[in-house]
Amino acid sequence: MKRTTSRATVALVTLGLLATTRDIVLETAAADADYHHVHITSFAPPVSVRWYTEHLDCQPIADRDDAADCQGVEVTFVPQPTSGGTQGTGVNHIGFSYADLTAKMAELEAVGSRGSGVRLQRFEDGSTLREAPGLFKYGFIFDPWGTRIELVEDSEYLGFHHIHLSSTDPEATLAWYQDVFGGETASMRGRLEGLLYGDIWLLASQHLEGVPAPTEGRAIDHLGFVVDNLDNAANDMRRTGVEFQQEPRVPENARTSSKRAFIYGPDNVRLAVVEPGFAGVETDRGTETATDTGPYDSPQTPWGEPDIQGIWTGNAAHGIPLERPLDLVDVENLTADQAAARREGGTLGSIWGYEREWRDTTLGYDKNAPSTQVAMIIDPPDGRLPEMTATGKRTAEAAARARALYTENRSAGPEDLTPYVRCITRGLPGMMMPSIYNNGLQITQGPGFVAIQKEMIHETRVIPTEERTPLGDKLKMYLGDPQGHWEGNSLVVETKNFNGKTNYRGSGADMTLTERFTRTAENRLEYQFTVNDQTIWTQPWTGVFTFNLDNDQYDLVEYACHEGNYGMFNILSGARALDKERAEGPR
Amino acid sequence: MTNQLREVLKAAALLVVVLSLTATTALAQTTEVPRDWDGNPDLNGVWQTIGTAHWDLEDHPSGSGHPDLGAIGAIPPGQGVVEGGDIPYRPEARQQKQDNFANRMTNDPEAKCFMPGVPRATYLPYPFQIIQGNQKIQIVYGFAEANRTIHMDKDNPEPPPIDSWMGRSHGRWDGDTLVVDAQGFIGEAWFDRAGNYASAALRVEERYTLTGRNAIMYEATITDDTVFTRPWKISMPLYRRLEENARVLEFKCVEYSEDLLYGHLRREPTR
Repeated sequence: MKRTTSRATVALVTLGLLATTRDIVLETAAADADYHHVHITSFAPPVSVRWYTEHLDCQPIADRDDAADCQGVEVTFVPQPTSGGTQGTGVNHIGFSYADLTAKMAELEAVGSRGSGVRLQRFEDGSTLREAPGLFKYGFIFDPWGTRIELVEDSEYLGFHHIHLSSTDPEATLAWYQDVFGGETASMRGRLEGLLYGDIWLLASQHLEGVPAPTEGRAIDHLGFVVDNLDNAANDMRRTGVEFQQEPRVPENARTSSKRAFIYGPDNVRLAVVEPGFAGVETDRGTETATDTGPYDSPQTPWGEPDIQGIWTGNAAHGIPLERPLDLVDVENLTADQAAARREGGTLGSIWGYEREWRDTTLGYDKNAPSTQVAMIIDPPDGRLPEMTATGKRTAEAAARARALYTENRSAGPEDLTPYVRCITRGLPGMMMPSIYNNGLQITQGPGFVAIQKEMIHETRVIPTEERTPLGDKLKMYLGDPQGHWEGNSLVVETKNFNGKTNYRGSGADMTLTERFTRTAENRLEYQFTVNDQTIWTQPWTGVFTFNLDNDQYDLVEYACHEGNYGMFNILSGARALDKERAEGPR
Repeated sequence: MTNQLREVLKAAALLVVVLSLTATTALAQTTEVPRDWDGNPDLNGVWQTIGTAHWDLEDHPSGSGHPDLGAIGAIPPGQGVVEGGDIPYRPEARQQKQDNFANRMTNDPEAKCFMPGVPRATYLPYPFQIIQGNQKIQIVYGFAEANRTIHMDKDNPEPPPIDSWMGRSHGRWDGDTLVVDAQGFIGEAWFDRAGNYASAALRVEERYTLTGRNAIMYEATITDDTVFTRPWKISMPLYRRLEENARVLEFKCVEYSEDLLYGHLRREPTR
């Protein structure tokens, strides 16, 4: 069976008590892999998964309650309002093929339409099956959400079989699809012309009454095509006069990191064009606002503490400024495009950033949509750091003078460089902040301890969750002396005894840092941090951002920072060369 | 009957009771060791070796150190931890080891505050903490921010993503022994201050066996065909740090290595 090599996705979408919409995605010839997927609307995705599993021999997919694998084609069900079945639109039905259709239809007839059962379409003579001369047996059923499904007995192509368009001009319609998306012209057993995308047929028949109704909002909301590079494909489409309903972008709160655009094809058929975000991997991203789904019931470790273990990344949060930009005073959230541009500027825009493909694939950057959060600081409410004390201002000026030694290449020795440049530490809360790369954060728990390992520089904090005697005043460290405890599902960590050799926006040795780690969803860890340093600021301040879980793909690499710190040799030898030049004057 | 004998008999009677109790509950358990939620030995805690393995894995007499440090810098004598006595170097590799020793003041990765690698991290004279989770085991060492993740949750050990100082470790339980397969090393780490070393072909199989509440017998079998003629093994106990406030303190040693590494690049050179 050819289908075994194909990877296709069929997604069924649902919302409330409304019916089923789906979109079907085929790959383009340009992409030349056989990748397809279909989205279908359903009021309860798990019910739809069960239905397609029980009646169309699809398989459940591990860890997914919203998708089924239909003989190599992935069918995903997504909540979305629908306003009717497929008939009357430009996508009349989809087809499944069985080796013994008579047996299959008998099985479905036995199920009947009890509950959310199977609705059969009977021909005038009351039968459910017919023979198409020279082709094969066929019949029709409906799923409970209004999707018309043709069942055929085509031994050549078993499983998910075809998509059947209904068109005012079938020949022109197929030509349009081939022009825009490629696909191979083929003839089904010499009887029926169509296009083959991998091993799924795209067929078109004459629409009988007037003009097809728009697919949007119906059981099959749209068909989707996968391309390698959406921006290039979109440019090509614009040249051929294709109308865009939605420009290419990564949708906010989308389930996957895929970039997508919506266009209109012939006969009011809505089409999605999708660029797989991360090597075709689809990953749940959760919602942008953690609180919109109500409190999350955190899993527990076997020894009974809230479980926040896993590999998390700050990739989505990278680019969020600490302070609210003054031109965004009244903005609640950035648009997805603004957020994407902001993060892009913070990574690829930096000379330090890694090359795009490596960033997006190895680091899985694209798996997490950039956060639309405007700024980290939530207190003070204006999103700005509070006023500094007189001491704070003097310290900040001294720090600025010290920085100038570095930026002007005048460093007399390592001490004139920051602890980050020296690969000592980014300090706290600096080490928790999202960075341009190596954003992994691995949390491991044992009874009474939480180990938080940050990939950048490689630093591990071991936080006790049971009370212990704090360190004395003489024992101060870069990352201080932490004491944690659980408050409900939140890990609260209070840290003191900083040595003051690092600073975060001015913070010093007198800082008390209070952090709250709260798992707000399976894949989201909210991180809230309060800096209280009364020597430096007139009041405490609090920031927040979210880490995303990436257990499946991300592994922390060893960031052997100091061991490979050629930058130190280069910076200091450069400074010495400049010393010489300054002393001798330019040649 | 003397009091002493009476005490011995009493102890023996107690022992019989204890044995009969444990025999009915856990036949396989020969030693009483702390156990975690799933019945495996509980290695959580702060541990440290005692000995001179960090000076030299092999038998070694005392020796002189940096002259400025007087007796403080001297090498203390020590008995080796290598099974069979000697490390089975290939002839050309033994020469490298001797060169390493001759240049140890500047070339030993420990002097440079580089991560110590495996197994050296275990027997450096600093405590380390084991955090035994239900998915992974994290070991946080007291030197150079070195740490290891022992992946207990990978059915098929994956090839190391990149060569690294601490390698990639996969663990499994063999009865009451935690067995760790570590590989994917960068090949620049040494085993001790005597210049014993391995290449990037190094593979270490470690065995951690609790022998009671407060000691782990640690064994490491070292395989590296490019440097050694055969695999060889070291073993030593790891002792639990019993102080109530025992912990692994942050020791970010980078700044203490900077004169060694960059002193010649200071405006006022120190080297």
